[in-house]
Amino acid sequence: MYFSAQRELMLQEKKSTLETYSKQLLQELKFLHVNFDKTQLYPRHEEYESAIFDSDKKLIFSSAPTTLRVDKILYLEDAYVTLVSIAESYYLGAKYVVVKVKDDGVWLKQTRKELIAFNVLAFVFMFVIGYALLRLFLKPMRDALALLDRFIKDTTHELNTPVSTIVANIEMIDKSMLDEKTLKKINRIDIGAKTISNIYQDLTYLTLGNKIVTKDEELDVARVIEERMDYFKSLADAKKVSLSKEIIDSPTLLMDKAKFSKLLDNLISNAIKYNKLKGSIKITLQNNVMSVEDTGVGIAKEHISKMQERYSRFNNSSGGFGLGLNIVSSIAKEYDLKIKIDSREKEWTKVSVSW
Amino acid sequence: MDEGERVMVRALFLLLVAFSLHADVYQTNCVSCHEKLPVSIDKYFYRYLLNYSSEKDVKRAMLEYLRKPDKQKSVMGESFINRFGVKQKSELSNGDLKKALNVYYETYKVFGKLK
Repeated sequence: MYFSAQRELMLQEKKSTLETYSKQLLQELKFLHVNFDKTQLYPRHEEYESAIFDSDKKLIFSSAPTTLRVDKILYLEDAYVTLVSIAESYYLGAKYVVVKVKDDGVWLKQTRKELIAFNVLAFVFMFVIGYALLRLFLKPMRDALALLDRFIKDTTHELNTPVSTIVANIEMIDKSMLDEKTLKKINRIDIGAKTISNIYQDLTYLTLGNKIVTKDEELDVARVIEERMDYFKSLADAKKVSLSKEIIDSPTLLMDKAKFSKLLDNLISNAIKYNKLKGSIKITLQNNVMSVEDTGVGIAKEHISKMQERYSRFNNSSGGFGLGLNIVSSIAKEYDLKIKIDSREKEWTKVSVSW
Repeated sequence: MDEGERVMVRALFLLLVAFSLHADVYQTNCVSCHEKLPVSIDKYFYRYLLNYSSEKDVKRAMLEYLRKPDKQKSVMGESFINRFGVKQKSELSNGDLKKALNVYYETYKVFGKLK
């Protein structure tokens, strides 16, 4: 619509010029009419082309190929701005006098530019509005997420001191001095404290993840596995899960020890948590691949791809926040390790880390 | 000259005669008189063209005027009429008039003459 309005404007601008040309041509035709016995030279001009037609719309003469349109006086056709005027006296029999000038297309370029500018503006406007609305709609969700994160941050902060106190004090107890009943109870307290400690460390890792100072070193992977297996022994014993390892070669890995331990801890604690009673866990190390295999509940195929998302859990048989594998995958991403999960539901799960 | 060629020559001859007969109607009934007048015959043609534009309209107007000359309908100026008066009604038949007009139109038409 804007386009046709602009074209109309341009046509009106050219109209007066064309009318002047038309009058000039008529004067010349008049002269030619009177002197037709002396000269038959049709008047031509550099500024415009022209054509004359009789009252039957039959072409008398034209300086450039022209077709007559009588439905309009002023129009744009074949890149010519054309004016058709009807003469009062038919010099040389010419009733319709057509004059036309080449359209320079400036108006078209101008209009295009304006249209593009307008569209861009409209797009930006819509984008801003859209963005604002989106923010408005998503606000409750962001608030909920922020609340959850803040809650976790606060909780972890408050948990730090008591948990460290418990763990440190249990380690200080001289276990040979205790009778069997007390030892059992102390062991249970130890397991509980370690579980809380693990969760605590996971949460700190996630909430303060970016602020942890890393110190990469050549790790003896086999030794770390051994250490972590010792740490989890009491937990595994409590669930009557047997822990075994098969270390075929002993590769090294350039990585922060705390982070590798956290990765492994999460895999082992998952394997314990989702194992069945009297099940087994086997840790294998070979050819730069470390895998942790359990005889647990397994996981459905369609869930495997979603397993590494934060807070996602597919099993309610035991407690948890759904953070474990998310931590594993974020550490793996940082060190460019590949994680592969294979599983058969109700039979086994095998998580392999390769580098 | 074989038979076919002879027929063609005869046809051509007949055509020429026919055309010259038409020309004759125009020549004897129009030009012969107009030649004696101080205003040459082509001036009337351009007057008609100025007023009627197309071939069809020009011929019709001329025919009408020749059959029934009228001071009101004349394409010539008032001073011309005052000086020369209105012409006499033509006594030629409709057909002859049309033939004469055709020749007249062909002689002075603008089509194909402009350069």
